[in-house]
Amino acid sequence: MVKFLKPNKAVIVLQGRYAGRKAVIVKSFDEGTRDRPYGHCLVAGIKKYPSKVIRKDSAKKTAKKSRVKCFVKLVNYQHLMPTRYTLDVDLKDAISVDALQTKDKRVAACKATKARLEERFKTGKNRWFFTKLRF
Amino acid sequence: MVAAKKTKKTHESINNRLALVMKSGKYTLGYKTVLKSLRSSKGKLIIIANNCPPLRKSEIEYYAMLCKVGVHHYNGNNVDLGTACGKYFRVCCLSIIEPGDSDIIKSMPGDH
Repeated sequence: MVKFLKPNKAVIVLQGRYAGRKAVIVKSFDEGTRDRPYGHCLVAGIKKYPSKVIRKDSAKKTAKKSRVKCFVKLVNYQHLMPTRYTLDVDLKDAISVDALQTKDKRVAACKATKARLEERFKTGKNRWFFTKLRF
Repeated sequence: MVAAKKTKKTHESINNRLALVMKSGKYTLGYKTVLKSLRSSKGKLIIIANNCPPLRKSEIEYYAMLCKVGVHHYNGNNVDLGTACGKYFRVCCLSIIEPGDSDIIKSMPGDH
């Protein structure tokens, strides 16, 4: 009886082009909106996971391997698998629903999340989120 | 022998409580609506039949763990669970939303 589809929850996208990718809920719309009359949420996820960084790598190589490619999407709750993990990264000011209307706003939002997720990856926290789900 | 007798008595009492919920309370039957009730945190108790596919059973249990909702593994298959609900179809999992007059939620969620 506890609501668990809340912002900062880590989820796995189940359907669509990004199936199998991990994402974090930025904003949830439980009651739906007029355009989408079902429960859905705005998620920011990883399109391309960062590669494995080893100690032997030079600084240039580490920088190249730690790159993260992101996506921002509105997803139906039915197409998500919630997990017990959370990722408290502040993405609310970078991403909003109207960022999905035009292409350049979407690109700007993805760039902002890319910066935040990359710095989170470099600190070494939330390691589960940045590893690819094997299936 | 004593254990078998005890499970038979509690099994009947689950059936009685379930019948009371069907008459007086709110419930949903079926996998899709069970997940919906868990997502919207409306479900209060989930009952799963014993021949539920293990992947589906784990998925429902995971959702229930996130939701902190009790899961009861019914001692019978989906045919029996459908009969216990008074329906003429098979029911693999069901979610109780309002227990009505029944005390199923107070007496059941301890066991798994």
